[in-house]
Order: sequence, then C-alpha cells, then structure tokens
Amino acid sequence: MALLETDRVWKKFGGVTAVQDIALSIEKGEILGMIGPNGSGKTSFINLLSGIYRPDKGKITFIEEDITGLPAHLITKKGIARTFQNLRVFPNISVLDNLLIGRHCKVNNSLANIYLNPFLSRKREKEAEDRVIELLDWVHLADRRKELAKNLPYGEQRLLEICRALASEPQLVLLDEPCAGMNPVEMDTLAAFLKNLRDRGTTLFIIEHNMRFIMSIAERIVVLDAGTKFREGSPVQIQNDKEVQRIYLGEEEEA
Amino acid sequence: MLRIKKNRLLLYAGLLACVIVLPFIVRDPYFIGMVNFIIIYSILCLGLNLILGYTGLLSLGHAAFYGIGAYATAILMTKHGFSFLPSLIVSGLLALFFGFLLGLPTRKVRGDYFCLLTIAFGEIFRLVTQAWINFTGGAMGIVGIPIPEVLGWKIQTEIDFYFLGLGLLGFTYGTLHLLTESKFGRAFVAIREDELAASVMGINTPMYKILTFSIGSLYAGIAGSYLAVYQTTVTPSNFRLEESCLMIIMVIVGGMGNLAATFVGVSVMAVAIEFFRPVPEYRLLIIGLIMILVLLFRPQGLLGAAAFKD
Repeated sequence: MALLETDRVWKKFGGVTAVQDIALSIEKGEILGMIGPNGSGKTSFINLLSGIYRPDKGKITFIEEDITGLPAHLITKKGIARTFQNLRVFPNISVLDNLLIGRHCKVNNSLANIYLNPFLSRKREKEAEDRVIELLDWVHLADRRKELAKNLPYGEQRLLEICRALASEPQLVLLDEPCAGMNPVEMDTLAAFLKNLRDRGTTLFIIEHNMRFIMSIAERIVVLDAGTKFREGSPVQIQNDKEVQRIYLGEEEEA
Repeated sequence: MLRIKKNRLLLYAGLLACVIVLPFIVRDPYFIGMVNFIIIYSILCLGLNLILGYTGLLSLGHAAFYGIGAYATAILMTKHGFSFLPSLIVSGLLALFFGFLLGLPTRKVRGDYFCLLTIAFGEIFRLVTQAWINFTGGAMGIVGIPIPEVLGWKIQTEIDFYFLGLGLLGFTYGTLHLLTESKFGRAFVAIREDELAASVMGINTPMYKILTFSIGSLYAGIAGSYLAVYQTTVTPSNFRLEESCLMIIMVIVGGMGNLAATFVGVSVMAVAIEFFRPVPEYRLLIIGLIMILVLLFRPQGLLGAAAFKD
C-alpha cells in the first residue's frame, strides 16, 4: 500500500506551469529520490505535498485520506514533516527550543492548563522536553542544546533542521536538498543517518542534486523535467538511461 | 543543579520580602505613587511584549485596550453598581474580545499595513470616547469612580493600591511566564522568527496571531481597570497615541522577547520621565534620545533576546 499518492497534480504560476500532471506514489518504508535540472519543479512539488501551495488540479492522498489543499499545519499534524532547501532553522533561539517547536503538535498542553492548572502545564512541557532531549542525544547534540541555533556549524544546522522535522514523529519526511553545501565527509555521515532513520520505519522523500549521494541511498528515483515526470526507476536504470543523461547529466557536463 | 534551584528560590523569596516591606520603609506617598505608575505600565508592557517581542507584531493601538478596560470599569462601577472584582473581570474579557477583533485582520494584512490599522483603531477608540458624551462623558470623562473593595478590604491609600497592583502584576507575570515557556509561547516566537517554517511545524499561524493579540489585550484591560479605580476618573486623554508609543519604547528599551526585561524598560523610562518633569519642553526630546541610544548600542534592548527585525 502506498503511503502517499499524487494523482495528476498540476500547479501554475501565471503563465508558467511549475508542476504538470505528476502522478507518483511513495511506498511505506522506502527512500524515494527525486532529481531534475534546475527549474524542473522539484521544490514546487514538495511545496504541494507539504501544503505550502494548493494544487490547481489533481489529488494528493496520504494513508488513504484526501489531503489535497489542506493548510501546511494540518498536513504536519497528519504526519508529513519537511526541511527546506535554504536552511530555515529558527536562528535566534536555542537548539532545544527549535526541536520543541518541531514537536508542537505532539505537546498535549492547553491554555486552560496554563490559567487553571499550572502544575499540569509544567508537567506536559517537561514531558515534551524529555522526549526532545532523547532525540538530541541520539544525534549527539544534547550537550549543545542551550546554544543558539545560528551559532552551530553549518553541517550541524542541517542536522538540526532534520531533527526538528523528526520531533513531530512523522511517518513521512520530505527533504529538499539535504546535503547542499556539505563536504563529502558530512555527506557520508548524513547518508548513514538517513538510512538508519529509514530502518527505524520513517519513509523518506529526498530531492537532491548530488548524484553520488542520491544514487547511494535511494531505492527508487523519479526524474522531473520541465514540471513533468520524465522517468522513474532504480538508480541503475536511471544512471544508464540515455535520455536522462541528455536532459540532466549531459547538461552538467557542458557546464 | 539542586543548588542552583535553591539559590533561585532564595532569590525569589528575598525579592518578595523586599517588595512587601518596601512601602513600610519608604513611606513617601510620592514615591509609592511612582511605583504604582511603574506597576500599571509593567502590566501593560508585559502584555505588549507578548505581541511585539514574542510574536513580532507591531501594534500602536495598545492604549485603546487599556482604555477599553478603564472605561468598562468606570461605567460599570458608576452607572451599574458593579463592585470592583466583577468589573475587573469584565474589563479584562472585554479588552480580550476587542483584541480578538483587531487580531482578525492579521490573516490578510501584514507588517506596516497592520501597524497602520492598529493606529486607526486607537484613534477611533479615542474619538468615540470624546464624542459619545452620554455613554463616556466626552472629553470630561467619567468622574467619581467609587472606592474599590476586595473581600472586605477597602482600597484607599497609595499603599493599598500598591498591594492591589502587586497582586495584579503577580497574576500577569505568573501567567505570562507559564505561557511563554509553553508550546504557545514557542509558537509565537516561531512566527516571529520565520512564519513559513512555523506553519510547517504544525503551528496554525493565523490562529496564533489572533491569540497573541487577544491575550496581550486582556492584560491591558486589567491595567485599565486598575487605573480607573486608582485615578477615580478616566478621560480620553489617558489613552492617546503617545501612550501607545511610550509603551512600545518601554518594551524596546527593556528588551523584546524577555518578560523580566520589561520591568527594566518600564522603570528606566518611568524614572527618566519623572526626572525630566521640571523641563517639560525637553522631555520628549530626551525620551527620543534614550530610544535612539538604546537602538544604536543595544538593539536587542537592555536585557533583550531578539533584535528588532527590519
């Protein structure tokens, strides 16, 4: 059974069609990669899945439930979390608070507690904090939890952003170019981390430009070109596809 | 860890003791009066800090909510025979309701345009209170607000008002402290830092902006109610745009996004205003100068967490 399915989804901006008739499915427990030249609509597609854009046409189904056109915060609540291409951690607050914000939907606190039952409110917040510290421990950031996010090195900020997405205990995580700006060593660490994550049962959908990275971790790859789905297959199939090389890999060689 | 907690507890206990004995040591009513002024503005600015410092919404209409609370108490107590406590609650809730109404447009109107809207709201409130003579007494305001009584305690002297104010301030700080350390407070900060990312974290950003406005206004209503019984009169001139500006300056000077810093900002500005009272023609100039110096050398405020963003 597919975890997430898009059925012929369209998105236009004025005269430009960013996403055209894309139908794909993300299977539970897999790592699905998406590649494509610049401007082929990859980020627009992730924005559609995460509710930042509304599709003009088509349908998005998540665990057999229609989520087309839901606002972003409800989609997160349903269990889809995401990261951004251009790093969007909350810079001026602590690492711990970044993760606690990521956990927002899972914190079982209410205004009534705050005004009428302060001790319960405190307890609920403490529970959330404990869970988040477990997560920080796992990625070895626990002893830096008081630091402001902007003071972490770049690679750790990337990791922090992924953890912030994980804090909501999502079933599906959408990663928009997770290793942009990373050096090869950081990339290998990230690849191992993401595989580990998949093994724990989280489904991943990754947009990536770096071929070495995406070919090494994705089980299936979708190629976008000019807003349409151009190819879909295993990394080996995609690498040997002459047409894909022409539109994408070929373009890279020329540049 | 335990040691730190113990020290903290001692600090709080010491602070509380100082605050309680203060009016018995310094018996000068002029001084206590000034402290009461600081208390009122602290309640106002704590609420405003939630809106401006935590959520990052610039509101220049805070004095209107202050006024709504003051007029509600004045009218209920003089014309409808309400006692103080019910009036206080109604005033707070009424301000909350108007805060909710003014918060609604945040869904569509952003940044500077929203700020203009809050200025307009403040001016409309002031003009209505001036013009609706039957209801609000016009420019003369409402006079002769009776002495408040809480559970048999008649609040008459400056010292009585000091303790009443302290109670209200304690409620304000306590609840806001809990709020800002909860998922709600963090959601407000997330909206200030990056609204799009906040929505992806599962935060219903339009709802939270309305919420911050409603809650911030609630405390302004409470401060207004206190002002009404403290002054025994309310007039439209208590709630001009200048008041809103002063509150914003206090929050910025203290530090946005930090509740405890609000006390510093309010105290510094209150003392400055008092100190330069003999030279009224230069007072605004000096207040402006303090503001500029703070923004130049400590843009995050004297104790603040986040610098003012563009």
